[in-house]
Amino acid sequence: MSVVSPKTTSVPSPPAKRPFFDWRVWTVAIVLLVAVGLAVLFGVKQNAQQGFFGMRLFPLKTAYDFKLHGPNDVEVRLDQFQGKAVLFLFGFTHCANICPTSLTNLTEVYQALTPEERKQVQVVFISVDPNRDTPQTLEEYVTSFDPSFIGLTGSKPVIDQTVLAYGGSYEMVAGPTNQPNDYSVNHSAYTYLVNPSGKLELLYGNEKLAEVPRMVSDIRAVLREPRS
Amino acid sequence: MVKSVRLSPIGYWLFTLTLLLPSAPFALADDQVAVTVQRPWMRAVPNVMDSTAVYMVLVNSGSAPAQLVGASTAIADSVAPMITTKEGEGLKQVVGMKGVDALEIPAHGTLVLEPNGNHLMVMGLKEHPKEGAQVDFTIKLEPGDHEIHLKIPVQKKPVK
Repeated sequence: MSVVSPKTTSVPSPPAKRPFFDWRVWTVAIVLLVAVGLAVLFGVKQNAQQGFFGMRLFPLKTAYDFKLHGPNDVEVRLDQFQGKAVLFLFGFTHCANICPTSLTNLTEVYQALTPEERKQVQVVFISVDPNRDTPQTLEEYVTSFDPSFIGLTGSKPVIDQTVLAYGGSYEMVAGPTNQPNDYSVNHSAYTYLVNPSGKLELLYGNEKLAEVPRMVSDIRAVLREPRS
Repeated sequence: MVKSVRLSPIGYWLFTLTLLLPSAPFALADDQVAVTVQRPWMRAVPNVMDSTAVYMVLVNSGSAPAQLVGASTAIADSVAPMITTKEGEGLKQVVGMKGVDALEIPAHGTLVLEPNGNHLMVMGLKEHPKEGAQVDFTIKLEPGDHEIHLKIPVQKKPVK
């Protein structure tokens, strides 16, 4: 189809050459710069206010004093570690993925601390599978990550009470073979940080533990807090 | 007889690629998989553990999806593809794992097996290779009943 366009007499003028100091370009640039600057400043301030990488509990409450069994079946209570920051987590030794990953990360965190700081930090692994994990197997297991780590377990009612006190949960899931010992345990994968005054202060989802420098900086901050 | 040799990461890579070369001419055929393996490793575990995990990145350069259906190694009874499950919210959330028939490697995509995520669970360990050892490991892919033979380094931490 053909349309006859009215003939115009004006010759299209060449596009006006945009000067280098075009005010529109500079306005956009300055607005962006100010926005980015504000965002950075605000972000930094936010960070300084929150400070912690872990999820901080408020108000801080005294952590439940668990009474479990450690190496040689000796009773171990949380209160025994007063004066130290305690990082503990629930798991089981037949766990091939989550638990060894968390413990490997915690080992890196622990070993990144100075020897002086390490004396004030205790990592505790609590097995929710006392049927298969004896205090002896647990000791061999946790010390393979770091010799200072402690593995604890207890009777099922005591473990249940401990898990409940920390708001956690776990459940046994039967394996494919139907053998009584073929089961896995789905469990809370948080690491709980109890400060040297015995208050539950910070929580970490298992994926956070891989952020070693940020974990270390949290632990240092907790160790510097005034003790109550 | 092939002598077992210790390979540097680059050598290891070249070795793996060499293994894949014979299948390259058929890579475009529908029943063939065009999958390569990057950065495989097996977690070094203490003797009290009867299982461990293998991690790697599988890269599918083909135009059809492939499936990782299983694996085997002489040092364990069985190996199974597993996914990580999360149920519930907040503190009540429980993390676990679940066996699956297959893990998909999308066409022109990757499947990442990594700590805390999807993995190959190695069950019924007969040996506990120490950090620095190499383990013969075969993964099975579909379609085409394809096998890739690997020598996997045993490490405590991921391959960087």
